Amino acid sequence: MFLKRISTAAAVAAIPSTVWAQASAFQTPGMPTYPTGGQGPAGDISQANRFTAGFNPAFSFVIDAVADYLSPDTGPSGWDMKVRTMEIMSQAWVDPNAWAYFVAASDGEALNVEEAAAHFVGLGEHTTLRAGRFFIDFGKQMQTHVHELRTVERPLVLRQYLGEEVKGDGVELDQWYAIGDKTALRWSVGAFASLLPEESPDFLPVTESVADRKSTGKFNYTARVTGFTDVGEAGIFQLGASARVIPEYAFTYDPSGATEGDLKNTVYGVDATYGWTDETGLRKWTFGGEFLVDTGDNGATIDDSGTPTDPTDDTIGVVHRAVNGYFGWVDYQWSSFNSVGIQYSSLTLPDADKSNESEAAVYWSHSFSEFQRLRFEVSDHKSDVADSDSTRLALQYSLVLGAHGHGINW
Amino acid sequence: MIHHIHGLLLLTLSSLGLSLRAPASPGAPLTGDKLKVVCTIQDLADITKEIGGDRVDVTTIARGKENLHLVQARPSHLIALSRADVFVQVGLSLETGFVPGLLEGARNPKIQPGKPGFITMSEGWNPIQVPTSLSRQAGDVHPQGNPHLNLDPRAGRHVAELVLAGLAAVDPGSKAEYEKRQAAYLERLGQAAARWAEMAKSWKGKKVVVYHMEYDYFTAAYGIETIGKIEIKPGIPPTPNHVAELIDTMRREKADAILTAIWSNNSNVAQIAEETHVKVVELPNQCGGLPGTETWIGMMDLVHQRLADAFGVAATAR
Repeated sequence: MFLKRISTAAAVAAIPSTVWAQASAFQTPGMPTYPTGGQGPAGDISQANRFTAGFNPAFSFVIDAVADYLSPDTGPSGWDMKVRTMEIMSQAWVDPNAWAYFVAASDGEALNVEEAAAHFVGLGEHTTLRAGRFFIDFGKQMQTHVHELRTVERPLVLRQYLGEEVKGDGVELDQWYAIGDKTALRWSVGAFASLLPEESPDFLPVTESVADRKSTGKFNYTARVTGFTDVGEAGIFQLGASARVIPEYAFTYDPSGATEGDLKNTVYGVDATYGWTDETGLRKWTFGGEFLVDTGDNGATIDDSGTPTDPTDDTIGVVHRAVNGYFGWVDYQWSSFNSVGIQYSSLTLPDADKSNESEAAVYWSHSFSEFQRLRFEVSDHKSDVADSDSTRLALQYSLVLGAHGHGINW
Repeated sequence: MIHHIHGLLLLTLSSLGLSLRAPASPGAPLTGDKLKVVCTIQDLADITKEIGGDRVDVTTIARGKENLHLVQARPSHLIALSRADVFVQVGLSLETGFVPGLLEGARNPKIQPGKPGFITMSEGWNPIQVPTSLSRQAGDVHPQGNPHLNLDPRAGRHVAELVLAGLAAVDPGSKAEYEKRQAAYLERLGQAAARWAEMAKSWKGKKVVVYHMEYDYFTAAYGIETIGKIEIKPGIPPTPNHVAELIDTMRREKADAILTAIWSNNSNVAQIAEETHVKVVELPNQCGGLPGTETWIGMMDLVHQRLADAFGVAATAR
């Protein structure tokens, strides 16, 4: 022991004094061991040498900014500009059997961990176990961060039935199989502590929650099966089905403290996508769509039959009415740098009137290079819910610094 | 629904047990089945077929006219790679847009980098245009140098050497057959190289403009001078100002030809050709892009013939 300490001190003496600020060179029993040389000892999970950058993860930063003009049918029109997302992302292989990534994003106020997950790939040739926090595997768009979508916003029906972004802390098992030479089939199942959306839809004036501790049967689940196949020399067709299951949750109306528990909700989706690429790889047509059904307890109304001006005696009425909606889109890319497209989404809200809501968007995306993009979009939003029709002109600018990527699966 | 999901989990665990079996050890003698080989481009596929003969079953990923930086990965590619014994790529990040994702998805341990079944043509190759510093300010640069080595008239021999070594490492029992076939191929290659050298002996000093840096190995091999590029930087389309400057340069330097691939023969090329009256030479950037280019020797024959025509040098490639 004595000799080892002498040896360590000698090694430390050769290190410039600036590194002292990072950690103690002494390695005491019971504390994590950090090797000072190139040979990593057993029991240590750090890289062999803290002071080289060769094994550092790849980092990237994303800035997504939107300037828009909103013109509601009623109320004042006007311009707005904001940096919608500032994102930092890092990824690296952990060891031969796993790679991991994290994504933290800020809207200018708080920094939130959007994703932090490891992909374990050592289980078998086509099997992946993902663990951590990550976006759900539902349809073709819910795994994607909003700045990477084809449109400025996620399709309306996804926002309303699932949420603008749905992530959870959990695990997901994923496996794919070959069917013949041209078709691949993939399925996944995920279990999460909670998959309630980040933001409740506007028509739900209540807080949603799930219990912190629960039996496994009360976890929130996702499941997806999808197949994609070659269509001739130039086409690819993909078909998929997804489900998000929330077996138990509660509504709470904050002013009165009224709570409705033992609620459940399941959303199903069926998606289809066809892509065609010309012989040069530059021109592409893509057609896609998804149909969703929202079932179970999917809405709430507030009964203020007590004293009208006193919200503390209001009560919650739970809505459980199966509703459905869809979105469809067409995208045409005529060069590596330009594409145009149109997207339409329509849905029925689970309110007593079965109100309808729809959104149509037309866009042009221009990439200056692989790493910065400008998008111009005009969208028209219509709703049976009182006075919420509007037209929006949006200019979106997104740029990526560094090696960007997410844990997106097909 | 929840019970259904639990059932799926159990099904998955049982299938995991099956998939945890040990893979066949690399280099083990094959049992008579053909080697399944996946090549990123047809150039590599052609030479692999020449050397492998009946012992190989070759699949190609890129289509002949495709921009190799923009190849669309397809389900059939994923499946082919998952079953492959050998994977052959150019390397130097040429296929970085589709190979890493496919290899990761295919999860085939036999063809991962570093394994005998992974053959990359950049090995032992001396690349040109290796950047001295890395910055996106230089456009879509390749950190290891220009990756379009398949268009170097000397590349065929290099590819044949590496393919032979790779096939022999994976299938040592057929090494003698591979060597015999490679020797025959190299003889034909030697004849073709002599033919090309004869055609190109007056090309030194000819001045060309290229759209992308695909033909830089080719022009360097014959001393053809590239006086400008239509892309302002690799992967970045030209600006009007850049086009105007290039036209001035071409007039001043008296350019002999504009070299373009099929994918890049666009309105910029047409505009510059119209204003400078310089001939456009459309060339394949890989095998299969034009009739008669199904083989690497055939493709290089066509490239030489078209340049000979453009430079006004009477020659017959075949």
